Amino acid sequence: MNMIRLIAWREYMENVRTKGFWVTILIIPLIFIGMYFLQSALSNATPSRYFILIDQSGQYEDAVAVAIEREHQRRILQEFVNYLMENRKKTDLELTAANASNAADQLVDDVDADEVAALDQWLENGGLDYAVAMASPYLRDDIEPFEQPGPQFIAVDLPADVDAKATPEEIVTALRPYLTDEQEISLGSESGSLFALILIPENIDGDIARPGAMPAAPGTNRGVQYWARNLTDSRLPDAIIRSINAEIRESEYANLGVNTELVRNVQRTRMPISQLDPSAAAGEEMVSVADTFRQFAPIGFVYLMFISLMQNVQYLLSNTIEEKSNRIIEVLLASVTADELMMGKLVGIGMAGLTTIGTWLLSFFVFISLYSTAQTELITQVLEVILGSDLIPWFVFYYFAGYALYSGVFLAIGSLCNTLKEAQALMTPMIVIQIIPIAMMAFVVMDPNNTIVRTMSWFPLFTPYLMMNRAAADPPLFDVVGTTILLVASILLVLWLSGKVFKQGVLRTGQPPRVVELWKLLSAKA
Amino acid sequence: MNEPVLNLTHIVKNFGQFRAVDDVSLSIPRGSIYGFLGPNGAGKTTTIRMILEIIKPSSGSISVLSTDSALKVRNRIGYLPEEKGLYKKMKVWAVIQYFAMLKGMDKQTAKTRAWELLEKYGLKDFGEAKVESLSKGMGQKVQVLAAVAHEPELVILDEPFSGLDPVNQTVLEELIKDMADNGQTIIFSTHVMQHAERLCDHILLISGGKKIFDGTLTEAKAGIPRRVILETSGDTQTIEQLDGVISVKPAEQNSAQDAATEWLVEIGEDVNPQDVLRHCFEAGISLNRFEFSEPSLHDVFVHLVGDEAREHSAR
Repeated sequence: MNMIRLIAWREYMENVRTKGFWVTILIIPLIFIGMYFLQSALSNATPSRYFILIDQSGQYEDAVAVAIEREHQRRILQEFVNYLMENRKKTDLELTAANASNAADQLVDDVDADEVAALDQWLENGGLDYAVAMASPYLRDDIEPFEQPGPQFIAVDLPADVDAKATPEEIVTALRPYLTDEQEISLGSESGSLFALILIPENIDGDIARPGAMPAAPGTNRGVQYWARNLTDSRLPDAIIRSINAEIRESEYANLGVNTELVRNVQRTRMPISQLDPSAAAGEEMVSVADTFRQFAPIGFVYLMFISLMQNVQYLLSNTIEEKSNRIIEVLLASVTADELMMGKLVGIGMAGLTTIGTWLLSFFVFISLYSTAQTELITQVLEVILGSDLIPWFVFYYFAGYALYSGVFLAIGSLCNTLKEAQALMTPMIVIQIIPIAMMAFVVMDPNNTIVRTMSWFPLFTPYLMMNRAAADPPLFDVVGTTILLVASILLVLWLSGKVFKQGVLRTGQPPRVVELWKLLSAKA
Repeated sequence: MNEPVLNLTHIVKNFGQFRAVDDVSLSIPRGSIYGFLGPNGAGKTTTIRMILEIIKPSSGSISVLSTDSALKVRNRIGYLPEEKGLYKKMKVWAVIQYFAMLKGMDKQTAKTRAWELLEKYGLKDFGEAKVESLSKGMGQKVQVLAAVAHEPELVILDEPFSGLDPVNQTVLEELIKDMADNGQTIIFSTHVMQHAERLCDHILLISGGKKIFDGTLTEAKAGIPRRVILETSGDTQTIEQLDGVISVKPAEQNSAQDAATEWLVEIGEDVNPQDVLRHCFEAGISLNRFEFSEPSLHDVFVHLVGDEAREHSAR
């Protein structure tokens, strides 16, 4: 026992002292934190986009202006909702559409449920000024006032030398240098890059598509022409076409003698949906955000397990191979038994793995406690939900089980090889096997008791991953007990077998054994 | 005191079809310095591994420190394997401490002992260095120290001198003598005869897995003819007729064209070399050199296993 502890301690210290260990430990949280900051930086950093609108038909200029304004208001609304979530007195994940208790929460929830309707309401009520007044009683006292984002899409005038009455082809030819950034458009005293040209030809109404009409021949520019090099930012064309369509439909309604006010009201009618959980206690069946998180949490656990296991077995393998190629193993075996050596290694590397996970969690907590915003507050609450759920014991069990199982196999591999290169060839199938449940994890969460998933859960190498994956969905007791028994039995078998291979393998030199030789090793009396 | 430290009885080890060790029996007295000598591939390392129970013999029995298994007494044994290696990332003193602790020493004693050894054998300045920064020879010295730090009763060193420069070979010889003075029993294997000659009181000669000889150094030397070297341009034929002279042959280093000037005279065990000298005077053979020396262990080795060793290396 003493020897196991001594070996474990040395293995642990050896790993913890390497730079690679700390790089792995630090890089994951750094990537997450970096991604978080990068994302918020990017969303705030989108520059103003300048566009030119030429409406030769003279019908839709207003509609486009409305569309742009609406897009701008939508952005203000979103920012304001974020601001609300960040600064309201109490954020509550148990909140559902039905139990929103105040106007601020109601707004947050409305945006969540149907942004278009919420936006209409927002504009109708008078936009930001009204919202600020409405929400202020529910906000904390010590907060900064809301800062309205600047408009993102700004209309600019046509350059003086381009005639708005020319044919579309001529206009496009004249503006092409601006659209391709060869020339900058003048913005009063400054100049900037032209993002898009929206060209509405004179006879646009002839292009309106109606049900049953023949599709247009390909290659003809029909309808509104949106000229821009950026193909990914589709907010501007989307908003414009939405708005123009609304305009067209409205005039169609008018032509048909339908009251447009009525239509709009009908369009804004909606049926809420309540998600209910039949397994919850009476009165608590309402599915909250927290419940949804709990259902998805296993994905995180499975992923954490995968990363940590991969790291551990890597260490196990390289340490064993170092000892083998250095022949230290011979001295060790003259001092301790092969079993003690193996157990010491398993325990030591396992501790290193726990250190990794522990450090990750710790840095995570430090991050969210130091840096608190709407998102991190959400994360805090998600964590609370997860820590409070029964998922933790599952994770601890499957983590250790997975570790014991996989490390047993990898230790045997390590004992048979003299170089990492040799080991890699034997390792590959083991890694591929682990990738299967990882690739499945999103599907498993959605359909945890699917027959294929249930069947695969019985394969011991998949059990830790798949059963962890299914944990939140209360898998059938038969599956839980059965796979656990099978898992524990195979752990014992694998450790016993790899103990044998280890004893025989550590003193081997030369090529890794072929299958026949491996069988001989296993059947040899140690 | 009289009980042997180690007893091998008819030890055989087969690796598949290959017989690495063939019926070796051996008894090693307490407090001796015992040399395992033999050409490469003779079975020295295999024998040592069996003694330590790292591998098991195919047949035969081994008793170590009065037990049937080295594992039971492994804390009283120190072992330096043939192929040397240490944890590269560890500090020198920590490696010695670690291996001593694996042999049951407590942490503090092991640390004190590690520094003590480093100081005594000239490595104090490297104590805080990492193993990977040491030269090969220094690393090997550290490994020897790590193997014996727990003051084992039985020390087994497999090729301890290989890779060491002459100065460090001397340091290692001193270490071995120190341990012997301390009452520890030392077994070491080598194919360099000078070390064995200077250190050993007993030797085992092994070749092709078979024991050729075991016994004291004196016994080993007694087994081969004594030699006189003559350097002369005169006629040496008459010497051959002398009583007790076994053969007269030109020494090997003579070039083929020149008439031989150096001769090797083998004489019987009870012959006084002075008789040969006297005969030379009487017969008027003028001598440039007359040399008589006791046979060296090298001679013993070549005499006993020479042909076989050549055969092995030719294979």
